Amino acid sequence: MTGGQPRLHRTMKNSVTAALAAAFALLVGGCATEKEPPLALTGDIRVDGPNAIDHGPARDKLLWQYRTAAADMRSGNYDQAKQYLDDALLRLGGIYGKDKNAQKARSYFHEESRKTFIGEPYERVMAYYYRGIIYWMDGEPDNARACFRSGQIEDSSSEGEQYNADYVLLDYLDGLATAKLAGDGSDAYNRAIAEDKQFARPPPYDAGANVLFFLEFSPGPRKYATGEYREELRFSIPSPTVFSAAIRVEGQTIQVGPYDDLWFQATTRGGRVMDHVLANKAVFKKATDVAGTAAIVGGATTAIVSGNQTGEAVGLGLVAAGLITKVFSSSTTPAADTRAWDNLPRYLSFAALRLAPGPHVAIIEFQGQGGATLANLTKTFTVNVPADKRDKVVFVSDASTTPQTL
Amino acid sequence: MLAAAAVGFLAGCASTGVKNPSGVPVTEMRPDERGFVAGTGVESQDLVAVTDKMARGILAIPQVANAQGTPRVVLDPVKNETRFPINKDIFLTRIRAQLNEKAAGKVLFLARDRMDALQHERELKRSGQVTSSSDPNVVEFKGADFFLTGSLQGLTTKTSSGTSDYVLYAFQLIDARTSDIIWESSAEIKKQGLEDAAYR
Repeated sequence: MTGGQPRLHRTMKNSVTAALAAAFALLVGGCATEKEPPLALTGDIRVDGPNAIDHGPARDKLLWQYRTAAADMRSGNYDQAKQYLDDALLRLGGIYGKDKNAQKARSYFHEESRKTFIGEPYERVMAYYYRGIIYWMDGEPDNARACFRSGQIEDSSSEGEQYNADYVLLDYLDGLATAKLAGDGSDAYNRAIAEDKQFARPPPYDAGANVLFFLEFSPGPRKYATGEYREELRFSIPSPTVFSAAIRVEGQTIQVGPYDDLWFQATTRGGRVMDHVLANKAVFKKATDVAGTAAIVGGATTAIVSGNQTGEAVGLGLVAAGLITKVFSSSTTPAADTRAWDNLPRYLSFAALRLAPGPHVAIIEFQGQGGATLANLTKTFTVNVPADKRDKVVFVSDASTTPQTL
Repeated sequence: MLAAAAVGFLAGCASTGVKNPSGVPVTEMRPDERGFVAGTGVESQDLVAVTDKMARGILAIPQVANAQGTPRVVLDPVKNETRFPINKDIFLTRIRAQLNEKAAGKVLFLARDRMDALQHERELKRSGQVTSSSDPNVVEFKGADFFLTGSLQGLTTKTSSGTSDYVLYAFQLIDARTSDIIWESSAEIKKQGLEDAAYR
């Protein structure tokens, strides 16, 4: 009996030491994976984007390609935007099967932001939408249509059925491209009309319209996280600054309202599978935290009040187990991924009109609430309409540089 | 204890934000095999399988196999009606190359995509700026006997179980004089995939 107690005590002491060592190892291992050299940002996307794409974490590459492509679109640098979007869409189209970073993101001890960023459906849709615009610019309306269709498919990944594939403009443009390719675009047009519940109905197709204006305005959705451990992904939206636009060209004035709202699309996505994973992580974190605290308190109390070596050893063992559990808890990372394509617009719009071949000056006025022109946002585009049958595509954002010649 | 700490420390450092730290060596693949980078869209193995089938089919049709002269064929761009943006010309280019390689002389293709350069050359000859081995004023550009064209059409399903893409590749040889479709063949490819739960 007297010989057994020191041995038990020694055993328990060894266990405590080993447990603390393991906890230390876990802590060190867990922390080390988070360290990465910070990327120096200037705040200028045209500088930060290429730098981040070339030197930033590989998992953020698509995010920066998205952002930089949008900025390039607005400054008329379509060739560069095309390269970024092509690269991004290649990655988007090949995300099937095993992905080590995605597996890590699902594990208890890595944040969701460890995964390769491909964006939420509304962000993926916009990558296809922008690429579709450039295809159309390049005289490939069938490939543009392919992009609009793929965009609509990206919106089909929502778990809920109610708001699946409900971009008005994507179906409308699908039908317009089909009509221009001598097909029947009426099915797509009817789908667009059926999906349109928020805004004015887009007009019937004019197959003779040879100048296509793609407009976008107001700042788009942002992401943030809520919940005890920031495990719940949420979206916010800045107050809209622009509500509509007017295109003035060759004596015509075309009033243009939005057809799609990315805020609506972001918030009607439905639940993510990853939300369940993060919720489980949060439950695990909470449970291990509570259990660890209980073990430490219980163990310490036992060790203090027991008055014998066995009680002390058991108490210390409980404290050690509690510490390990607390380490597990603190290493668990349920935080939602809030990386966002943060230079997206809120509203998407479109207008098609007929113009004779040759140069035309188009003035695009963006309008605030009540239709008041926001003079500081007015854009001037010189549009050179080709003499052949190709459409002239004009992309205008309220953040576009002005003037531009296309 | 030290060993455990060291293992933990090393394990932690080893994965510091670097994927494939040693890189992935270049792997040469055959174009007709499925690579380790794959999506549900149109890929090289599909292109090879489809165009091989079409080239074999064209050579077997009586109007080509038993033609009195050599039929002239013009390529008319393929219609892409799928959800995948692709370089459509690549299908017809490979069919043409296959036919030229394996059945030289049975059919000839007209270089209509080079007409600007050809006409320019003819004008140079006509104006005497360059030499000519025949009378440049005689029209020798050949007319087409057949048009080779096709279409790609697709069906997509996306649910929580994954994405399924079916693509129908259909090609036709059209008689330029009568507009008869004298030959048509198709190939179907269906692919399915499911992305990691982290992306759903």
